[in-house]
Amino acid sequence: MTDLGSGRRVDPPPFRLRSAGVRFADLHALREIDLTVAHGERVALIGPSGAGKSTLIHLLNATQRPTSGTVEIFGTAPTEQRQRALRTIQGRIGTIHQGFDLIGPLRVIHNVNAGHLSRWGIARAAYSLVSPLELPAARHALERVGIGDKIFERTDRLSGGQQQRVALARVLAQDPEVILADEPISNLDPVRSREIMDLLRDLSTSDGRTLVVSVHDYSYALSHCTRVVGLRDGTVRFDRNPEEIDRATIDRLYAMESGE
Amino acid sequence: MSIARGGLETELLEARKHLGPAAGSRSARRVWTLLLLAIPISSLAMATIGKPVVNAAGLPQMYEFWRAAASPELGTSFLRVTFSAALTTLAYAILGSMLSILIGLAGGSIAARSSWATLRKPLRWSVVGGTRGLLSLPRGVHEVVWGLILINVLGADPLVGILAIGIPYGAITAKVFAEILDEAHQQPYLALRGAGAGRARAMLYGLFPVASGDMISYVFYRFECSIRAAAILGLIGAGGLGYELALSFRTLRYDEMWTLIYALIVLSGLVDLWSSSLRKRLSVTSEKPPRNFPTASALVWLGLCVVSAIHLQVSLSNLVSDRARDGFRLIAGGLWPPSLPAETWPALIRASIDTLEMSVIATAIAATLGAITSVLLSGGSHRPSRAGRVAASAPRIAAKGLLLLCRAIPPPVWALLLLFVLLPGVLPGALALGIYNFGILGRLMSEATENLEPAPRSALLASGASGPGSFLYGSAPRLASRYVALSLYRWEVTTRETVIVGLVGAGGLGRLLTGNLAAFDFARVSGVLITLIAITLLVDAVSAAARQAFR
Repeated sequence: MTDLGSGRRVDPPPFRLRSAGVRFADLHALREIDLTVAHGERVALIGPSGAGKSTLIHLLNATQRPTSGTVEIFGTAPTEQRQRALRTIQGRIGTIHQGFDLIGPLRVIHNVNAGHLSRWGIARAAYSLVSPLELPAARHALERVGIGDKIFERTDRLSGGQQQRVALARVLAQDPEVILADEPISNLDPVRSREIMDLLRDLSTSDGRTLVVSVHDYSYALSHCTRVVGLRDGTVRFDRNPEEIDRATIDRLYAMESGE
Repeated sequence: MSIARGGLETELLEARKHLGPAAGSRSARRVWTLLLLAIPISSLAMATIGKPVVNAAGLPQMYEFWRAAASPELGTSFLRVTFSAALTTLAYAILGSMLSILIGLAGGSIAARSSWATLRKPLRWSVVGGTRGLLSLPRGVHEVVWGLILINVLGADPLVGILAIGIPYGAITAKVFAEILDEAHQQPYLALRGAGAGRARAMLYGLFPVASGDMISYVFYRFECSIRAAAILGLIGAGGLGYELALSFRTLRYDEMWTLIYALIVLSGLVDLWSSSLRKRLSVTSEKPPRNFPTASALVWLGLCVVSAIHLQVSLSNLVSDRARDGFRLIAGGLWPPSLPAETWPALIRASIDTLEMSVIATAIAATLGAITSVLLSGGSHRPSRAGRVAASAPRIAAKGLLLLCRAIPPPVWALLLLFVLLPGVLPGALALGIYNFGILGRLMSEATENLEPAPRSALLASGASGPGSFLYGSAPRLASRYVALSLYRWEVTTRETVIVGLVGAGGLGRLLTGNLAAFDFARVSGVLITLIAITLLVDAVSAAARQAFR
């Protein structure tokens, strides 16, 4: 791979995509995506269902490889990585999923501690299941997301909003440089949604973390992010500051086929 | 916690019975963990300590048997015998399953609560409860015991094998069908009722389509079991591979035995494959719902039923012959009132303890080996390189082959093989059942592992966790409760199965039963049977309580 740009940079950006595309059999999930995300940015991904938002998130945390073009994460292309190096890179990226993806039968403490798994060896991980390690850090993380009292509860006994907070606390325990969030509020009511979005914004601003979040409710994109990327049919339709986005832009993005 | 339905863990459908929604407390779980460790260990101690168990003189024979695996008898005439025997076994399994489907559909719709939704409560409960109680009796008696009793009624008739499979399996199927109908999403059905549709039409449109995937899935799971049941029934004279296997064993023709064993492996392997691919397609979580496949399978199935009936020369008129009537009268009269075995209570209690010991040791062996195997089978399936995948597939195939071998050889044959090197008693019986159930449990557990919702583990992998680390946190906690549930459920089945190793002298109630059957002492037979059913109920209750704690 040619890489003229990165030689000059001391600290490569978290993400740089050059005409990246993902194709599943006959379906172009993403095509020709050019996108660079700088440190500390808060990027919102918006667009109708099937626009490719989730696939893009998967490209960014290296669980999906591009079928065309290149994806550089912290200046290196994961396609060329070996397992261990890939895991180190993935350890610097925390992802929050739409369905929370927590382990139901485990207690909250262990779900939070799962954020350490990129650094912990297997023996340490096994020991912690018997006698939890890093208790103060986990308690601190849970307090920060507002559920410090739930630390020893079984995770599947918590409500949806509380579970999403556990997922956030896990990301805090992981202490990544980048937080990715794939529809983090789609299963929550309006009040919980606002709380989670506020938390995500605060985690980014107070610790200087980069945030990439996909949301259905575009008003959060405008109110909580520094940059809004509109996706449709697997391509980037616009990439602007929130102030530059008006009602007509949004309507065009979400319009039915006939409106285009 | 929701358990995915459909082909996922059909056996869990049974394993979940009687369980309320609330999970057990942590202290209850701790107590049960201790008990579940202590009971097998003490059973093993009771069965071995202070008793001679090993018979070193039989080692050369054991060696001869395994050596013959490489040189099965492949002469044309014996291959012809094997082929025809395989057809017979298959035919029994098919017709037995068909009968169990019919009994299951009839019994299941009577025993389903939803069928009587409009009846007043006391009346509904008595109909449902009565039917379910009636169904629990045939379930408590193993297929082989049914076979041994029916052979006295009907003589050597193909109907014996079919009924012996069809009656107990039908009762289980009815119970499971009733539960599937009751657990199915009721909203579409109730919506149709609310829109003025009659009960039958509403069920046809709103209930059966929702439940049919699970029902077909269960039928095919039962079909898998009935192949093994048909082979075991062969040992008591129903013909087919089991019968030939016993014959070759009696003449110590190990090369012939291996031909038959390979035939059994191929047969049950093919049926397992058909069943599991169908169940996978019927699963709710499957991406594409099937269209032609079940139709094709249904047509194949009906064709096979006809061919099987012709092959076995089934004649229903034998059911109402004079011989059958006399036999039935003799046995029905003899079974009641029940009486104690010749040595009365001490013998009965001793045999009951042996039976319990045997089932506990067998289940512990099967569960331990099964869990280890399925965890090893699941390892490294995430993000492998192509070379890694190829390297991983060899031990994978070997492990699946081992599981298949273990469950393809009927437990009495395992027991007879073990009796080469072990002295008669509880241990060879327990080991035989342990090996056989390892084959079954290992498969069920790896199915549960493969079907585990991958998202929680994938999330950990995406944040840089290693393969073993993500398994430990993401999969193991969710698998543990399923493994325990499957093992405990299997314990109930194993308790019933102790009878079949008792046939070859492995001790327990099975031996008492065979002795009294051979002497036509039906009063004592029913005495032993009642004890066996009582023990099974006890095991069911303990198992249900433990499963509740581990939910």
